[in-house]
Amino acid sequence: MRYRIKHITEYQYASRVSHCYNMAHLMPRNSRRQQCLSTHLDVQPGAVINSKREDYFGNWAHHFEIHQPHKKLRIVSTSDVETRDQVSMMDLDLGVTCAQARILMQSNRDIDTLMAREFLLNSGMVRKGQTLVDYCGDIFTEDKPLLRATLELTQRIFTDFKYNPQATTIATPVEEVLENREGVCQDFAHLQIACLRSLGFAAKYVSGYLETLPPPGQEKMVGADASHAWISVYAPGEGWFEFDPTNNCMAAEQHIITAWGRDYYDVTPLCGVIFGGGENPILSVSVDVQRL
Amino acid sequence: MNSSGSRPEWLYPADDQRRDDMLAADGQLLPHWQDVLDSLNGLEDIAARQQKALRILRDDGATYNIYGDSTGQSTTWNLDLVPNIIASDEWADVESGLLERAELFNLLLRDIYGERSLIRTGVIPPEAIFCHRGFLRACHGIQLPGEHDLIMHAVDLIRDPQGQYLVLGDRTQSPSGAGYSLENRTVMSRVFPSLFRDSHVHRLSTFFQRLRTKLLSLSPNPSQARVVLLTPGPHNETYFEHAYMANYLGFPLVQSDDLMVRNGFLWMKSLEGLKRVDVLLRRVDDWFCDPVELRADSRLGVPGMLEVVRAGNLVVANPLGSGIVENPVFLRYLPDIAKALLGRELRLGSVHTYWCGAEEDLAYVLEHLSELVIKPVYRQAGSSSVRACELDEQGLLQLKARILADPVQFVAQPHLAAGHLPSLHNEILQPRPALLRTFAVASGESYSLMPGGLTRVGAAENSFVIAGQAGARSKDTWVVDSDHERTLISEQLDDSGALREADLVSMPSRVVENLFWMGRYAERAESTLRILRTTFIQFNSESPAGNEVKDHLLRALQNMAVLVPAELGADEQLDEWVENGTLSNSISSNLNAMLFCADQAKELLSSDTFRVINDIRDALQSLPTELTGNKGSAPEEVLDPLVTALMAFAGLTQESMNRSFGWRFMELGRRLERAQQINTAVTSLLVPAMAESDQNRLAEALLLTLETLISYRRRYRGRMSVETSLDLILLDSSNPRSLMYQLEHIAEYLKAMPQPPAVLHELTLEERTLMQAEVLVKLTPLKEFSLSDDGQRPALLQAMSQCHQLLGQLSDQITDKYFDHREASQQLVRNSMEIL
Repeated sequence: MRYRIKHITEYQYASRVSHCYNMAHLMPRNSRRQQCLSTHLDVQPGAVINSKREDYFGNWAHHFEIHQPHKKLRIVSTSDVETRDQVSMMDLDLGVTCAQARILMQSNRDIDTLMAREFLLNSGMVRKGQTLVDYCGDIFTEDKPLLRATLELTQRIFTDFKYNPQATTIATPVEEVLENREGVCQDFAHLQIACLRSLGFAAKYVSGYLETLPPPGQEKMVGADASHAWISVYAPGEGWFEFDPTNNCMAAEQHIITAWGRDYYDVTPLCGVIFGGGENPILSVSVDVQRL
Repeated sequence: MNSSGSRPEWLYPADDQRRDDMLAADGQLLPHWQDVLDSLNGLEDIAARQQKALRILRDDGATYNIYGDSTGQSTTWNLDLVPNIIASDEWADVESGLLERAELFNLLLRDIYGERSLIRTGVIPPEAIFCHRGFLRACHGIQLPGEHDLIMHAVDLIRDPQGQYLVLGDRTQSPSGAGYSLENRTVMSRVFPSLFRDSHVHRLSTFFQRLRTKLLSLSPNPSQARVVLLTPGPHNETYFEHAYMANYLGFPLVQSDDLMVRNGFLWMKSLEGLKRVDVLLRRVDDWFCDPVELRADSRLGVPGMLEVVRAGNLVVANPLGSGIVENPVFLRYLPDIAKALLGRELRLGSVHTYWCGAEEDLAYVLEHLSELVIKPVYRQAGSSSVRACELDEQGLLQLKARILADPVQFVAQPHLAAGHLPSLHNEILQPRPALLRTFAVASGESYSLMPGGLTRVGAAENSFVIAGQAGARSKDTWVVDSDHERTLISEQLDDSGALREADLVSMPSRVVENLFWMGRYAERAESTLRILRTTFIQFNSESPAGNEVKDHLLRALQNMAVLVPAELGADEQLDEWVENGTLSNSISSNLNAMLFCADQAKELLSSDTFRVINDIRDALQSLPTELTGNKGSAPEEVLDPLVTALMAFAGLTQESMNRSFGWRFMELGRRLERAQQINTAVTSLLVPAMAESDQNRLAEALLLTLETLISYRRRYRGRMSVETSLDLILLDSSNPRSLMYQLEHIAEYLKAMPQPPAVLHELTLEERTLMQAEVLVKLTPLKEFSLSDDGQRPALLQAMSQCHQLLGQLSDQITDKYFDHREASQQLVRNSMEIL
């Protein structure tokens, strides 16, 4: 499927910002099932320096500095992307079992597995723990295929947790989400990653977009889409597989990837330092995913 | 001294349980220790020399700040006069081992931020790198030009019980100690000039020259390389060293706010505008260097710095991310790493290390816990090693639980008894466990080692922790020729003055701003002290002043010392202010502000100046007790030491500072403040119109306060009059304490300030303000000033208050024009979590 994504980020400041430095993860990366055909980032007011590079995880990182005083910062990222389904959709029961996966993670000497071990460790927003094992350990029985078990975990999170944007912030820890049973896609992704890592499986955080379809008979509203987050789990010898706990499914064609990392922190869409600006800047984000 | 052959009686006995560096296996003194210890022992004035060393250290401002000390006082660097003496043939072995190790760690650093072949080929498990917080993913792919990524490599060594040197750990983040080594050397060579000369100690200065050359050579802008040293600021534990090194190497010392990124380059804000920075010698930990990509809540770095590094427009030494190679997990795999990267094993051994991230190690560690020292793999404030043998059962269980919760984060090492060195305590030699930090710098194709290093000895005979934070003392480290046929080299010790170029480099504007305020606060403190002294004298004289005069004096004191308005009768009020500490607080707040500014500009002040600053600090500490304790018996005398010290400070800055912009700003601050104080004093003491005798008394108090009573008397004999007083205080520009003198000098300094090239002949804003003040005072005839009406002198009052306002404006205009007042920065997305 071909999509055009328009992602607009706008900051409205209470007082003048004299200058600022920013880093953005807003351009879709390439992956096994996705190709970025074209991409463009427009920054208003005009940036002095505007450069992009491939970061440690292979994502596009974009840097810009602005030295023109401003009260509004507007970043428009426009990209055309071609996506496919994940290949082994139907073969969930044929892969390595949970027990095998655990052993192979430590014994395999191929580069993919060695490098995947980075995603077994604690990271800033995701900590392993016994409570997570208690929550889902029963699913990952020795003989069950890893991907089947991961899908069941995806289902469990979907069923047990309520989608509630008011319940959490970007800094809410996983333990709190687990306790209160509510949050947004980012919380669910972090929770699932924490579960998988606690059980000895490598998992990473994927940020991107999801194409939403309007209710039957209605026009699709511009800007109604949103950025989204899901996870990817590593099956030794087989590769990475993406699951979406917010929507109870494996990621498919309509899941468009921007970037991946150990957790949200590695792929923050926009971060930086501003000088001035006053209190409580107002952030508005609009995302539009359009079929081409 | 007859000590060869038999054991001298002052030598402490050998102990089988303790390895001692100065003793041979049979308990006899080693030959290379003999001479030095003999000489030391022959000195009868060792206590005096220890005093001298302490004084030099203090005068140099050599301090070490103790974290968590709420008083914020810094501690004078602690130097033990007995050097650590190492024979040159033994040193040669250590040296080649350490150079080889530096080479290896350079290759290791390159591999970690490059191909990571050590992981790919299975030499080390991936977690060895991935679990460590010092692995900065943002720095992946960054390489320095040339052979070396690791510019400086420091190593902590101990002697094992067999006498072999053994590496305890590596310091690669921003190694500290090289500057303290140099300071120790400078002090030793001054305390024991002849001993030092006769011992043929290898010199340290070459090391610093190599460091300087290397840093300059790293510049991406070879035509005009600018190197700066980035410090977290005066509150850092090793700030002294930062200032000392910056000065010695001739590089400006900068803090976060002195730098900014613009157009893809790093710039230093100086008075003459932005200056491009090419190389940054950092003493800020890498995580704190760039809030955009690293720790978002850091105020110690420069936003956008990493991207400048990536673009190749800036070289940071040691590079950002180099903290990873301090990871003790590498010690566990070092033989294999060395074989993979160097093709051979290292000559110099490291302490045996178990990593809880390796299954077999974890099992061993849990089983033998009480024999081991447990260390977190990532060194940071608040994390420390645990000696499991010191724990009770409960503590052991907690430690086990902590390890098992995240085993990859812990290593364990056997508890080693460090070799001992003789240390001087109460003039007696005592054995102390010792640790030696060595320093290597990339040079040419390889590395070059400082001949010596920083030796530290534990506070007690069985100290386990040897750190400044734990009361350890330091020693100079002497590498001496071991054969007695010493080559005669002319040992001119010029370490201290080798490369003083800091004065020639343009300074960051923050330093200049601090000089400006140092001048203002010093002057403010001085005039507060003077008016206080005058008040005491007038209150306590044989013919005490009348109540009205006392009231005015008290008001003058209140205005000049910025105190709460008087509520009681004059005498009671003064006693009250003395008793409740109001006066000493007022004095100390000004002086503390001045001392703070002096710390910020440390690198520009001479050691003589520092001696005076220390005097001020001392006098300040004893002031409150002396003021209250001395009640009744001439309290004004209590203030004399402070006034004298401040005069000395003013004199020294006059005499010993270069007439650079910095000096001019300091003088500008001083003159502006003095002008304002004259103004306040005149308003308080001469604006009120009183009966002749009282009037004369106030005029006398004013002249005394402004230190002009003697010149007045010389000129006018005993006749006091308002007109003549005003003439001397306001208009006589030959009087260095007159208002006009201050204004004329301000005008002179303003002219010499850096200005953008001007086409027009108009005056600058500051010059216009100044001229208004001058005209205001000059255009009114003295007669008019002294006319009184209803108990006041209205013309004088008006002129003084207008002039006060104008000078206030002038100060603001100078601050706005020359000093940086950038807005506070904030994160776009608030995120202050701990990053792994």
